[in-house]
Amino acid sequence: MRFGSKEVVKNLSFTVNQGEVFGLLGSNGAGKTTTIRTLLSLLEPTSGALLVNGKRYTPEMAPMVGYLPEERGLYRNEPVLDTMVYFAVMHGLGRSDAKKRVLAYLERVGLGDKAHERLIGLSNGQQQKIQLGVTILHEPSLMILDEPTEALDPVNRDLLMSIINEQRTNGATVILVTHRMEEVEQLCDRIVLLKDGVRALYGTVDEVKNKFGSTVIALVYSGTLPPNDKLYAITKQLPHYAELAWREGVTPDEILRFFAGSPDLHLTTFDVRRPTLNEIFLTLYK
Amino acid sequence: MWNIINFEVLRALKKKSFWIASIAPLVIILVIGGIEYFSTKSAATNAAQQAQTFSATAKIGEFDDSGLLSQQLLTKQHIAIEPSKDAGIEAVKNGQLDAFFYYPNNPGKSNIEVYAQDKGISFAPPYNAAASQLLTQSAINDVSATIKNSQVIQILQISPAVTATTYKNGVETEGFMSVIAPGIFAIAFFLLYVLLASFMISSTAGEKENRTAEMLLTSVKARTLIAGKIISIFILGLVQLATISVPLLIALLYFPSQIGLPTGVTLASIPLHPTAIIFAALFFIAGLLLFTALLVGFGAMFPSATEASRFLGVAMILAILPVYAIQNIIDAPHTLIVTIFTYFPLTAPLTALLRNAVGSFSTWEALGSLAVIIASAIVAVWFAVRAFRYGSMEYGRRVGIKELLR
Repeated sequence: MRFGSKEVVKNLSFTVNQGEVFGLLGSNGAGKTTTIRTLLSLLEPTSGALLVNGKRYTPEMAPMVGYLPEERGLYRNEPVLDTMVYFAVMHGLGRSDAKKRVLAYLERVGLGDKAHERLIGLSNGQQQKIQLGVTILHEPSLMILDEPTEALDPVNRDLLMSIINEQRTNGATVILVTHRMEEVEQLCDRIVLLKDGVRALYGTVDEVKNKFGSTVIALVYSGTLPPNDKLYAITKQLPHYAELAWREGVTPDEILRFFAGSPDLHLTTFDVRRPTLNEIFLTLYK
Repeated sequence: MWNIINFEVLRALKKKSFWIASIAPLVIILVIGGIEYFSTKSAATNAAQQAQTFSATAKIGEFDDSGLLSQQLLTKQHIAIEPSKDAGIEAVKNGQLDAFFYYPNNPGKSNIEVYAQDKGISFAPPYNAAASQLLTQSAINDVSATIKNSQVIQILQISPAVTATTYKNGVETEGFMSVIAPGIFAIAFFLLYVLLASFMISSTAGEKENRTAEMLLTSVKARTLIAGKIISIFILGLVQLATISVPLLIALLYFPSQIGLPTGVTLASIPLHPTAIIFAALFFIAGLLLFTALLVGFGAMFPSATEASRFLGVAMILAILPVYAIQNIIDAPHTLIVTIFTYFPLTAPLTALLRNAVGSFSTWEALGSLAVIIASAIVAVWFAVRAFRYGSMEYGRRVGIKELLR
């Protein structure tokens, strides 16, 4: 994908399986939103094709897709009910069915008394709930959520997480575009990670962790952490936290025994674990 | 598309600002018409009353070189005869007279001269009216004495109504009456364009400002959306026209004399020529489509309605530019300026409507101009669709024409 002379997404290829939560990851400017806009035919690809169920996306497929764009907005001067019904009808619902679903949704999220109020009169958190409702009201089989938790308050973040989980349980496919790795770890089955428009990682979360990151020892301690180049290297150190990479041929048990004999070190946690996606992400972007 | 039209029309109809804008022209027309009607009526009444009061109370002198004044009338109104013009002027200057009227030898060619005490600007009309009435009444008295025909006297006392019949190449023409029906389309075009221009721009700029364009474009094709918006604007235009025209039609039907319609002119007497009406309707629809699509496209190019509105003035001036050449459009339709205005896309709609109304269009010229307007409207719709498709997601930034054409 090219904008003028700038190539923003290069040789990207990935597949999203039906019924899974798929993470499209990358830092700001990595090409995530461009990829999604191209998938939804909002942008024309310079070459190649992005297909939904084997076909290029057209607005006729709107009833099966729930899209929460990165740039969000609604008609701020219009009543909540009118706005939600408008978008629901756009997504293939009948007017009366749309109205019923809107009212039910508003009751569910505690905004039942706001149906006839103008959006501008609602708080930010309430407007976010309306935006989520517009995305899911028609029960799409494919949800594309671009930075969905960005600017969400904790209540709405929790609501979104439960909605994603609910949709997934009902068999929907979810594409989650984000740079928040903790959400990816909680929700995603598989991921593709973009760096400067190029696919840097691709696979299940486990595959990515196995393939990319080596296992580390995470310590929470007080006192002094003694250096020992023969046993380990300190990869990260904070006043009471450290991560160690052990040398070839050394086992974590040997390191634990070494620490047990160190009088100035008091360990509270000794955790042998694989790196988090966040750590992999940070390493990749260093 | 029905969903878009329904939403767009209803949201506009629910706004107070829409109704204020719709009713405002009617209110302005009624207020100005009312003021004009009552002030003309009361001015005439006041002038006559003031003249009568003045004649009855003021000390007036006159000197008549014309010999037309009635001595009987002078005596009845206690108007003194001064020995000369200079003596009369002197009597006013030294305060012996409130006013002195001098009637020249031939009042038909020379003005009646009035010399009077200054009692403020507003007091000036009664002197003039009294001096004029004195001569007119004297003439009527004179004629009455010799011609015993009440109709002649009546004709002298009122302004007789005139019914004109004109001919062109030996065939009777309808004169101004023939302009009315097709002319209404020109007025409606002008009115709707002025009333709806900002609405046209904000219909797409609003989507950009509200950040709703991206969601819309995944649910509906850009051309469907633009078509829906254009149809909505047309429907709103019809509502505004109805708001203005229905009360006016009622007034024309039931109170023709009160609204100043000339005697003998009724709605039924307005000629309706199918060719002129069909052309007018086509120019009206195609012209409105051209400007609606153009402004809708502009709205999608700019980051906000406010920024897009800066270019509204230019579009407005271009559309109403033909009004400045109205004299040429009526009297010299084949001058260069009128020809340019007839075929230049942005000036063509109003020029064509005006030329069609005043009858200065040949069929071929009308068809040529219509072809230009329709072709331009198609290009404008294409431009609007493209501008919305590629410009509406460029939040906070203006999209250039070059970018849209790429």
